[in-house]
Amino acid sequence: MSKGVSRLGGTFTRYNLLVAIPVLPLIIYLGFFFFWPMVAVFIDSFKDNSHHWSLVNFTTILNDPYRKAFKNSITLGLVSALTASIPGAIFAYIIEIRGSEKIKKIIGSLSGVLANTGGVPLAFMFIAAFGAQGSAIYILKKIGINLYSGSFTLFSFVGIVIVYLYFQIPLMVIVFSPAVHGIRREWRDAARNLGATSLDFWKTIGLPLLFPSFAASFLLLFASGFAAYATARAMTVGNIALVPLVIGTLVDGNVQVDQANVGKSLAIGMVVISAIAMIPYLYIQQRARKWQH
Amino acid sequence: MATLKKNIILPITLIIGGIFAFLPFGSAAEFSFRSFSETGKLQHSLTSYRWIINQPELASHLFLSLKLALIAVLITLFLMVPTVAWLHLKAQTWRPLLEVLTILPLIIPVVALSIGAQAAFPDWLQSSEYELPLMYVILSMPFSFRILDTGMQAIPLKTITEAARGLGANWLKTIFFVIAPVIRGSVMGAFFLTFALSLGEFTLTSLLHWDTFPTWVTSVSQQNIIGAIALSIFSLTAAFALLLIISLFTSRARKLTKEAE
Repeated sequence: MSKGVSRLGGTFTRYNLLVAIPVLPLIIYLGFFFFWPMVAVFIDSFKDNSHHWSLVNFTTILNDPYRKAFKNSITLGLVSALTASIPGAIFAYIIEIRGSEKIKKIIGSLSGVLANTGGVPLAFMFIAAFGAQGSAIYILKKIGINLYSGSFTLFSFVGIVIVYLYFQIPLMVIVFSPAVHGIRREWRDAARNLGATSLDFWKTIGLPLLFPSFAASFLLLFASGFAAYATARAMTVGNIALVPLVIGTLVDGNVQVDQANVGKSLAIGMVVISAIAMIPYLYIQQRARKWQH
Repeated sequence: MATLKKNIILPITLIIGGIFAFLPFGSAAEFSFRSFSETGKLQHSLTSYRWIINQPELASHLFLSLKLALIAVLITLFLMVPTVAWLHLKAQTWRPLLEVLTILPLIIPVVALSIGAQAAFPDWLQSSEYELPLMYVILSMPFSFRILDTGMQAIPLKTITEAARGLGANWLKTIFFVIAPVIRGSVMGAFFLTFALSLGEFTLTSLLHWDTFPTWVTSVSQQNIIGAIALSIFSLTAAFALLLIISLFTSRARKLTKEAE
């Protein structure tokens, strides 16, 4: 059914265009509300304050403080993806293989909440729990872990990574579970019947099958951690420059005139980095879907 | 021994996952009940929740967010259901292109899109709060398109349409009164997903300088942090309930899909 060939399309381009007319509203909508804004940012990012073509915005963002912001954001994306992807994958695997349908459904919804709508509430939840007065800190202290014995604060790089884990791990569970689900029970049984140990199975079947999906999920997590705005904003981590926050400050107005279009070149920089991660992600997902169903 | 090991892995995983999820949540919930008595002693009460309910802005912001989310949902359904149906029925050759176009909003960081909206949109649009639902539709499009696409793949769309058309229904009637009810699982999935996404949207809303429920929570935190935490607990719980409903609908849709196959 999925690859049904249209009897009408194909041969005649003229007819093909006629058939596309009902699709036009969606294309126009995307054009107006998505492509036009993106093209506008792109064009403006190459203009200086007197509206002349120039690369000045891009030379500006290659220097501090913007360079540092990019470095911070990329590091945050990588570190949070790295620390979330492995536990997330293991968790997804165990739930998917051993959990009942009910458990899977609840975990799925919970992951959905934390990964998609978490942002702001997540930040405040953490301020409450892991602030110096938080009861989580109190409980951890009771069992011998004193987070505040050193120089820990929630509003530091490590602090942000911990908060980010709370939407990154659930995100990993969401995107990686279908891959685990795709490993059919029969393959494992077949391997065992042919005399493979579980180590053999993992070396020759399990890991090669799951690795592309793992890599793809990692890329998605990187993009998500790199571009996240709400959580960082709500935590008001002013002491750590992150690209989305810097753009936010530029948009908020209280900026010198000589930086009018710097925000736009920062946005283009974000798009480029995000695309480097997301395009391979989408490509691998597309290929993996073939054997997952 | 082996079976014991097997039986113990799942509970241990669930316990670790439970601690991971509920230590901060429970701890924040406890925090949200804190208040200080007249003598300055720490106690637990509903003070913060009472404070929230007494905020005149609560109702107006909640109402605004619900209204904008509902508009986004309606635009999504009226735009996407006919288009996806048409792509399946008559314009299969255009489907791959639309698949690529609708996934693009997932690649572009929302921060960048917000900057773009600010740079491109005319003033009359930027001065209207309805620019938000128009943009929420874009943000949810990668998901809503795929949900509806999967739903349509699962049903004998051609037969149903031919039957409806043969009985004299026009295209609009066919799409809204015949096709949409048949794929109601997917339609509800797209509905709730767009709804949830719009309700919780913060980045675009705040960068375009609008004040909805999520952005209001952030401004509340500046005057009453415990109040903001109580609001967070409330919205996380509500979001969880909403998503549980979605999963109910989508799993029903999946069941229908399996039956159709």
